[in-house]
Amino acid sequence: MDFSLSAKQKNLQWAAGEFARGEFQPDLAMKLDQAGDFPESVWKKACGLGLIGVHYPREFGGSGLGIFETVLVTEALSRVDAGFGNVLASVDAGSEIILRFGTPEQKEKILPPLTKGDRRLSVAASETEDESDFTSSPTKAEKRTDGYILRGTRRFIPNAPFADRFILLCHEPGEGMVTLMVGKGQEGVGVRPIEKMGLRLTPSGDIDLREVRVSFENRVGREGEGGLHFDHYHQERGLRNIAEALGAAQGAFDRAMQYGKQREQFGRRLSQFQIIRHKLAEMAAGLNVVRSLTYRAAGDYDRERLTPGSLAIARMEARNVLVRSVDEALQIFGGYGYMSDQEIERCYRDAWALAAELGTEEEQKDVIAREILGPPSVNAK
Amino acid sequence: MTMFFELSDEHKAFQERVRTVTKREVTPLVEESERSEVFPTHLFRILGREGFLCLRCPREYDGPGSDKVSECIFVEEINRVCAGIGSSVMVQGGLATDPVLLSGSKELRQRYLPPAARGEKIGAFALTEPNAGSDVGGIQTTASKEGEGFLLNGTKMFITNGTICDFVTVAATTEPGRRGGGITLFVVDSDSPGFSVTRKLRKLGNHSSDTGELSFHDCYVPREKGIGTGEGEGLKVLEETLKSGRITYGARSTGIGQAALDATFSCVTQCWRQGAPLSKSQAIRFAVAEMVVLVETMRTMAYRGAWLYDQGMASMKDASVVKLFCTESVQQVVQKAVALQKRSGLVKENPVQRFLRDARLFKIPEGTSEIQHLIIAKELGL
Repeated sequence: MDFSLSAKQKNLQWAAGEFARGEFQPDLAMKLDQAGDFPESVWKKACGLGLIGVHYPREFGGSGLGIFETVLVTEALSRVDAGFGNVLASVDAGSEIILRFGTPEQKEKILPPLTKGDRRLSVAASETEDESDFTSSPTKAEKRTDGYILRGTRRFIPNAPFADRFILLCHEPGEGMVTLMVGKGQEGVGVRPIEKMGLRLTPSGDIDLREVRVSFENRVGREGEGGLHFDHYHQERGLRNIAEALGAAQGAFDRAMQYGKQREQFGRRLSQFQIIRHKLAEMAAGLNVVRSLTYRAAGDYDRERLTPGSLAIARMEARNVLVRSVDEALQIFGGYGYMSDQEIERCYRDAWALAAELGTEEEQKDVIAREILGPPSVNAK
Repeated sequence: MTMFFELSDEHKAFQERVRTVTKREVTPLVEESERSEVFPTHLFRILGREGFLCLRCPREYDGPGSDKVSECIFVEEINRVCAGIGSSVMVQGGLATDPVLLSGSKELRQRYLPPAARGEKIGAFALTEPNAGSDVGGIQTTASKEGEGFLLNGTKMFITNGTICDFVTVAATTEPGRRGGGITLFVVDSDSPGFSVTRKLRKLGNHSSDTGELSFHDCYVPREKGIGTGEGEGLKVLEETLKSGRITYGARSTGIGQAALDATFSCVTQCWRQGAPLSKSQAIRFAVAEMVVLVETMRTMAYRGAWLYDQGMASMKDASVVKLFCTESVQQVVQKAVALQKRSGLVKENPVQRFLRDARLFKIPEGTSEIQHLIIAKELGL
């Protein structure tokens, strides 16, 4: 059993980190965060370096590597800055579905522009999931001879204000769930930007669909397969979210370490107080656990043997370690940590936004329990 | 032989009145002051007229002459509406005026308490410095003798009401060479030459409250503006002030905790997932129950602390236990409230994200959680 990275993987991880250290400028991040703006030039540069689509096949503009390598890159980027990291992780949200279920024509049309920085993709997942809260109405797809008519509202969609294409899970009466794509600016597609607390470099919005016409070429896979598509999406996207959380937690730890070694109180450096040392030790332990779980889950995914339960365990641990680490890091910074001119303040907000992407502990436990106990039954004794 | 755990009828009536007034006067201000990060200063006079600002201030100084329990009632209710606004007014009746109230000369009381209680003058309290947060004994602001008074020199950090205050109660040392020695408090008018606001600070939360960095450069204060000028007295005044403030933090935490619970209750009853209201999930019912346990325990702790204080029985350990327990517990409550609502919890219009940002502060000021642990252990004689 060998848990070490290959030289090639280490190089890739190092290159992503170098890029991030060079390009993710704290001043720029602070400005963009305040305005809720997307870092256009950083995104373009990342595409130029091949950081988008690491796991896409070469014929579609990618590097032909696995999700494992994408996870390494994502972690390295988010470690330097979780906000920028999220931007680069989410500009191709939904590519998962195209890669696995799209036709060769759809792949050719959609994937290469994502890797080149010419297009951005977004995804609006299922109604039964809690992206839709009680204020959402389900997205209905009505079949006509020349395609579908869509109606509905999807809420809290990352990238919504600028994505060129949306992949939507829709309900088609009589057929079940179907995956359809709509373009930005298409008639009947309205986007309302929303303001959120964290990950503000990735603007989000609500999407209104009013009598939107979708041709058959813009359907992915077959009718009734939508649920399957989005299960796959959640698995692959979940791994990338976990990698972001791991990077963000590591980033909080790095900042706390640096500050702890330099700040003095009571005539001693903070890093010389037992309780601060233990806080940092606990963070290091949490990072170790999450990194092991994440790498293992990503490796299993590439070998097509990742189970929903293992993914849920990694999600739950990543979420909890992230939230705890960033909280302790802020505490080590004391009053300064609470001020907006310190990066850790934004780390805190970004961490909570990432935690929301990872889902609640209760949801993960439901998935884990299903794997070890089977599905719950109302009639069972 | 009876033991009462209920608010008295007078306290209950006061609580009702506070709720009515905060709903009428404070709630409509929250959105704008949170957005602009500017405290609505006219609120001071409104709350002053109601007699809410300096609740323990005696009638002879235009206060209501009420007690710590009443102060906690007010603080809980206003923090339930908005912690940022709550922060500024809490300082007025707490840290900024307590040194004057507890140990100031008659002249000092006559001069500063009535306008503070009426809300005509805004007070601030300046202890923390860039290099002395938890380490109070490490303060470097100096008070050197000059004629009939002192010259203050130094920088004060994270000062609530810093940029809007009319007067500030400042801690300085008359013996800079001796660690923790010669600590003295002075009341400085913000129009004194040598006093300046260096900058206004932006924060994770408590956006409505004003936070500033203050500078004292050869700022002259007459001797009469000093509090605790005798040997070791300043530190005692400081400790009494912080003791009271730490108990207040229990009520402040309870206020946000209750607000988070209120928001959670409406979310779990209205939000449907997988074909049923969230409240039908056993795990969610447990989570809500745990939040209730925490909020009720916080409230019990805070009001017991206030009652002990009113009886003159509160020790520093009591105050630290209240502050530590309540400020840590409220984190669990707000974190749960945010987690439950997922992405929708983080949207600006949703108050739970504000509760998360606001409550996060509480583990830091007036002694971090780590300092409270140290105090408790020390008070036990360890």
